[in-house]
Amino acid sequence: MINATKKWIFLKVSSIILIPLMVWFIINLVLIYDKGYVDIVNFFSTQPSKFLTSLLMIVAFFYSSLSISAIFEDYIHDEKIKNVATKALTVFAIIIPLITVIIIFNLTI
Amino acid sequence: MSNKNPLSPHIQIYSWNISLLISISRRITGVINIVALTLVCLWIALLLLGEENYEYIKFFLQSFLGKFFILCLTWSFSFQILSEVRHLFWDFGYGFELITSKITGLIVIFGSLILTILIYLFGKQIF
Repeated sequence: MINATKKWIFLKVSSIILIPLMVWFIINLVLIYDKGYVDIVNFFSTQPSKFLTSLLMIVAFFYSSLSISAIFEDYIHDEKIKNVATKALTVFAIIIPLITVIIIFNLTI
Repeated sequence: MSNKNPLSPHIQIYSWNISLLISISRRITGVINIVALTLVCLWIALLLLGEENYEYIKFFLQSFLGKFFILCLTWSFSFQILSEVRHLFWDFGYGFELITSKITGLIVIFGSLILTILIYLFGKQIF
């Protein structure tokens, strides 16, 4: 299987996982964003939101790194800059959700 | 050695239509969503600073600017969700006819606005 096919399959699988997670998250974000500290910590530190938010972050950053790298392919014509941008994007897409998941699993009142 | 290959025409050269509008908006909202999710990650991280420090963030989120930010994010998510569903139908071989493509494009544009209002009203427990 060529790389482009693998990338397309990863994009589609992550997209199918992401759609219901985005619906769930945006409804809950509107529900809680203006609440107090205790309510928000309670939301992120209890199940199922603890697991679902972590999953959303991992899948969303994975999906975005694949789709933004396609934008880099289209708009950055210098190969060196494109490679550096793609690698920086991959590192960003691993570190940010990883730190967030660690924080979510350590949140307590 | 510099690349002398010809480039494909830039976006400005094409006449605007629904498919083009959806395509470029999908890319823009995709980038907006990941920037917004990074801010959500930062918001979660700031919870570690404790209840007293959280008052500043709460003040921002309860302000007009905070509410506007959440409303824009709701639209951006809604647009991405609907255009993603449209793309999935294409992947299964449905909706390629010109008229169907135009209709689903309009559904994405107007549906995202309706979905934003519904999610916001549902989130605010108005119904």
